[in-house]
Amino acid sequence: MLIITRRPDQKVMIGDDVVVEVLEIVGNQVRLGVQAPQSIRVFREEIWLAVKEENRAAAQDAPQTLPAPAGAAG
Amino acid sequence: MLVSKAQDPKELLPPMATQSQFPSTRFETLEVTESAIIDFPAGLIGLPGRRWALVPAGGESPFRWLHSLEDADLALPVAAPWTFFPDFAVELSDADSELVGSDDPDAVEVLVTVRATTELSGFSANLRAPIVIFEGRGHQLINEAPDAPVRASLQLERLADRAA
Repeated sequence: MLIITRRPDQKVMIGDDVVVEVLEIVGNQVRLGVQAPQSIRVFREEIWLAVKEENRAAAQDAPQTLPAPAGAAG
Repeated sequence: MLVSKAQDPKELLPPMATQSQFPSTRFETLEVTESAIIDFPAGLIGLPGRRWALVPAGGESPFRWLHSLEDADLALPVAAPWTFFPDFAVELSDADSELVGSDDPDAVEVLVTVRATTELSGFSANLRAPIVIFEGRGHQLINEAPDAPVRASLQLERLADRAA
């Protein structure tokens, strides 16, 4: 793991196209600005993990046939 | 590598076919029309493959299957969110809106993935990461709206209301 110290307004380059900028530090929170090409998706880690889990569970848990809702039959 | 790609049987399907067959462990035969095929350039979060198809779940079901065309085992139930969540709203970041290619709500199709069980009462939907489809291309995006849980129980009374 690369560990570097940055101050507000300073940036980190990841490859040629991804720029991470420290915008602001308030207390124990850091605001980051991320610039990346469209092909690189940027997520908050905990949301990415939760969605990944949910996608996998949706694919794994699904029964062979889905129960038909009573209301939808009419 | 091009050589190994050409040996993939899926690559040998005629490109102009209006209906194509794909392997599926869920369905005996999975026949998909061209218009039902959706390309996900960035895939679905945490799942392999970028080519998927929307397949009806049968009858009057409000659900459909989002079936991988690259992995016969992989299919997720999906639904139109407003069927179950009348107040559902999607807020996309500027970057994500640009990615979709349209900001016209009537032009895009929005779906949510559904976690299904044997009982309908146990179903939930992921309102945090809806799937937005425009002109055959799909993206699973993060919904920035404040009240969008990853696991929201389906509001089944909505269905009953509609039927009444």
